[in-house]
Parts: sequence; C-alpha cells; structure tokens
Amino acid sequence: MARRILIIGAGVTGLFTAKQLLEKGFSDILVVDKNYPGSGGSFRCATGIRASFTSREHVKIMLRAIELWPKVSAELGIKYSRDGYLWLLTRESDVEYFSEVVKFQNSLGVPTRVLTPEEAGALVPGLNVSLVKAAVYDPLAGKASCFDSVVNTLRHLLSRGVRVEWGVEARRIRRSGSGFAVETSRGELEAEIVLVAAGWGSRRLLETIGVELPIRNLPKHALVTEAFKPVFKPLVIDWATSSYIVQLFNGNFYIGADIPEEYDVKPAHKLEFLRKAAGVWTRLLPWLGEVNVLRYWTGYYDMTPDHHPVLGPVEGFEGLYVAAGFSGHGFMMAPAVAEALAEYISGGKPGLPEFERLRPERFARGELIKEIAVFG
Amino acid sequence: MIDPRKVIVCRCEDVTLYDVEKAIDEGLTDIELLKRKLRIGMGPCQGAGCLLVVASILARKKGVRVTDIKIPVSRPPIAPVQLKFFAGSRRSG
Ligand SMILES: Cc1cc2nc3c(=O)[nH]c(=O)nc-3n(C[C@H](O)[C@H](O)[C@H](O)COP(=O)(O)OP(=O)(O)OC[C@H]3O[C@@H](n4cnc5c(N)ncnc54)[C@H](O)[C@@H]3O)c2cc1C
Repeated sequence: MARRILIIGAGVTGLFTAKQLLEKGFSDILVVDKNYPGSGGSFRCATGIRASFTSREHVKIMLRAIELWPKVSAELGIKYSRDGYLWLLTRESDVEYFSEVVKFQNSLGVPTRVLTPEEAGALVPGLNVSLVKAAVYDPLAGKASCFDSVVNTLRHLLSRGVRVEWGVEARRIRRSGSGFAVETSRGELEAEIVLVAAGWGSRRLLETIGVELPIRNLPKHALVTEAFKPVFKPLVIDWATSSYIVQLFNGNFYIGADIPEEYDVKPAHKLEFLRKAAGVWTRLLPWLGEVNVLRYWTGYYDMTPDHHPVLGPVEGFEGLYVAAGFSGHGFMMAPAVAEALAEYISGGKPGLPEFERLRPERFARGELIKEIAVFG
Repeated sequence: MIDPRKVIVCRCEDVTLYDVEKAIDEGLTDIELLKRKLRIGMGPCQGAGCLLVVASILARKKGVRVTDIKIPVSRPPIAPVQLKFFAGSRRSG
C-alpha cells in the first residue's frame, strides 16, 4: 500500500500500531516523537495488566489485550507474566462494594474472587493481615516490561524499514490536498494518514486542526526501591488509600500513591508523596521500612471525563485518527488498541464492537461510557 | 587487546563494554534507550559511575562530541534512603 502514514508519538500505542500496520501491508510509515521513544507515560508506568474493571468496554478490551500479550511478548521478547492483582480491603463498606464488582466481572468471564486476609497473606509474605478485612484476587492479571515493550518494538520496526525519528516535535496539523501537512520542529511533513498517539500532547496538537477533545493531564507520582530476589508476584493495591506496589521483573519494588493534584499543571516532586507511599506500605508490609528508595519520578495520566480512551477516526477529517486519553491504562491495552487502529486505518472496523463506543464523537453526543458504580 | 566482555562499564547492574557496543550496533543510539535496554543508571548509584563512560562510548561510535550526548536526569533522593525515614512522624502542613 502506497499511502504514507505519519504516527505522532513513539510510546507503546504508536509503536505497537506501527507494527500492526506493517503486518497489514502498509510500508510507508513514519513515527515521530518530540523527545525519545517511551519518554511519555510508557517508560514511567507501573506495567500492570488486568481485565478486572467496572465497565463492559474496559473489561472486553482488556480481555482481548490479555489474549494478545503472550503473542506479542513471544514475538518481540517482552517479559510478561500473569502474576495477578490483589486488592486489599481495609473497610467493611469496601468489602460490600467489591462483592458486587466481582459478580459483574465474573459475569463477563474475568476470574476475580474474594479472599480471606489469611489467603491474601499467603500471596504476600510479611503482609500485616490484621489491617485487612478481605481481599480480591485476579489471577488473570499480570505485568509486562515497559522497557522491552518500547525498545524491542523499536528495533523490530527499524529493522523492517519503518522510520522512527525522535527529537521531532509536531506543532500544527492542517489539511493539505487529500491528506495532511504537519508542521514540525524539523520542517513540514506530508501524509495521507495521520495518527495522533501523543499521550499528554494529543489535546494541544488536535486543537491546531480544530478538533477539541476533553483530555486533561493529571500529575502522578511513582518510586522504585533497590532490587531483591522475587518476594511476591501480584500487583497489590491498597484500595482505601489508592496506593499500589508491584515487584518488577528486575526485582525492584515499584510504588505508586495518590496525593491531591491539580489538572494541567507541571508535575513537581513532593515530599507528601514519599510520606504517603512510605506510610501506607510500611504499615502493610513492615519489612519494607528497611528497603532503600532509589528513584522517584512523576508523569501524567491523560484523563478523559469517563476515564476511557479517545480512540478511532476523527469525524469530519478523513484520514485523521486519534488514540489518547488512556486515563492511566494505556500500557495494558496497547496490543488490543494497535489491532483496532490497524483495522480502522486499513478501512475496516475493529473486531470488537466495544471499540466503537470509544470514538471521539461520544463526548459531543453525550454518550459517555458508564461504569457499574463510581470507581475511585 | 582487552576482551570487551571482561570490561565492566556499570558495576551496579553488571554491564560490560561488549553489552554497550552491541546495543549501539543494534540501533540503540540514544543513551536513554541504552538505559532502558541495559539498566545503566538504574542501580543504586544512578549512573554516577557509568553514564559518562557510556556517553563517551556512544560519542565515539556515533562520531559526535561527548558534550553532544545529553545525560539522563538523576532522580531524588539521589542517594538511596530507607523507606522508614519517609514514613516517620507527620508534621502538620
Ligand atoms: C505513574 C504511572 C503509572 C502508570 N501505570 C500504568 C499501569 O500499571 N498500567 C497501564 O496500563 N498504564 C499505566 N499508566 C499509563 C500508561 O503509562 C499510559 O497510558 C501509556 O504509556 C500510554 O502510552 P501512549 O503511547 O499512548 O503515550 P505515551 O507513552 O505518553 O507516548 C506519547 C508520546 O508522544 C510524544 N509527544 C507528545 N506530544 C508530541 C508532539 N507534539 N510531537 C511529537 N511527539 C509528541 C511524547 O514525547 C511521548 O513519547 C501509568 C502512567 C503513569 C504516569
């Protein structure tokens, strides 16, 4: 196929989609990134992968992604493992709420189940079970290396003639002939098909061609500790404090914790985050107090009003596509998103009808995605 | 001639000169990508011991000046600190 495709953003979304397009027979593909590949959310994320969500759309799409992860991981040499997710519930009201959530998830084929504190303790050595009322376990969930996902895909693409150029910032998109002209920091690029997969930069870029999307960037904080031999497998969430911990493949513990933040401000390091992360996790896992923190960094969740991505063709702009607004879940769904985008771009429709619900027009039409209940 | 497999570039993560040169030859011509491939700069010293060495290897291979290579940022707390010291007493504010 001769049509030229320009992908703006070399995170997992852009790179996985380039690979899918190559497999569909497109050969003239250029991916640009203003910084370096992975420098957005992709290299900063907690690498968690699960289908245990509270909307039909998320569940169905993540189930497809989980079907694809083993294939992508085998093909590209990406470390991936179904190590599970474990929610710790420390309040009675949460136990009731989660029993509804589990029913919903089970009805869609997600094998979550409620565990006793002791069963949770058996999965996480040294857990202070006296604080835990109950837990929910998802054995289908897991994690993959975000470094492998970007670096190995990049090498795969480069060795097959896809051009990936970084240090190139897209500044403005306009129509040109039957396609588009994109002004960049290195001159103008022409393409018949443009995919905006620019994470937190997507909203501003789309505004330049007159497309308004309700994406707002919310600062997030994460740290890693020094590495140890494997201690526990699942990604563990403390529901009451919106905090989580996961032991990465290399052995480091990765901790995320929510602190009050404002949208669309430049992220700053805050002692408050370190206090919260350390406070929550040394209470639940007292042995962690002795462990050294190595690095603390920030990033953004690109949030939409219904916390689901904006995905697909942009109405009224033939040839323009968007994949952004992942609201903190763009890593796990990337294989399924890439598959759906490649189907759209080659003139078809995604195999999974739930993708059609994520199209950009839903906001103007007031057709936001509904969750079974409000989820923090 | 020294065997590049025996020259340690990053002691924290046990990365050799051979590993670095091979990754560059495979197309990872950016120090940020070498970091994610090899873990240079991700150990306890955050690259204090290796990043300049890696930068000079990369500069030599690319034929640019070492000052043209932008070194990855260091993250707080810079030196390793045990979690318990952040969990301590909660002052107001
Ligand atoms: C702390 C944290 C933890 C997370 N944990 C998880 C998790 O456990 N599981 C999960 O699934 N997700 C998680 N996420 C979310 C996940 O990281 C993102 O949803 C995902 O990486 C999005 O990938 P992407 O390719 O769409 O965007 P990005 O990786 O952000 O890539 C977008 C790229 O576009 C480039 N760009 C932006 N503007 C321009 C422009 N104008 N011109 C050219 N290039 C541009 C950027 O430089 C960037 O490289 C987490 C995020 C954070 C911050």
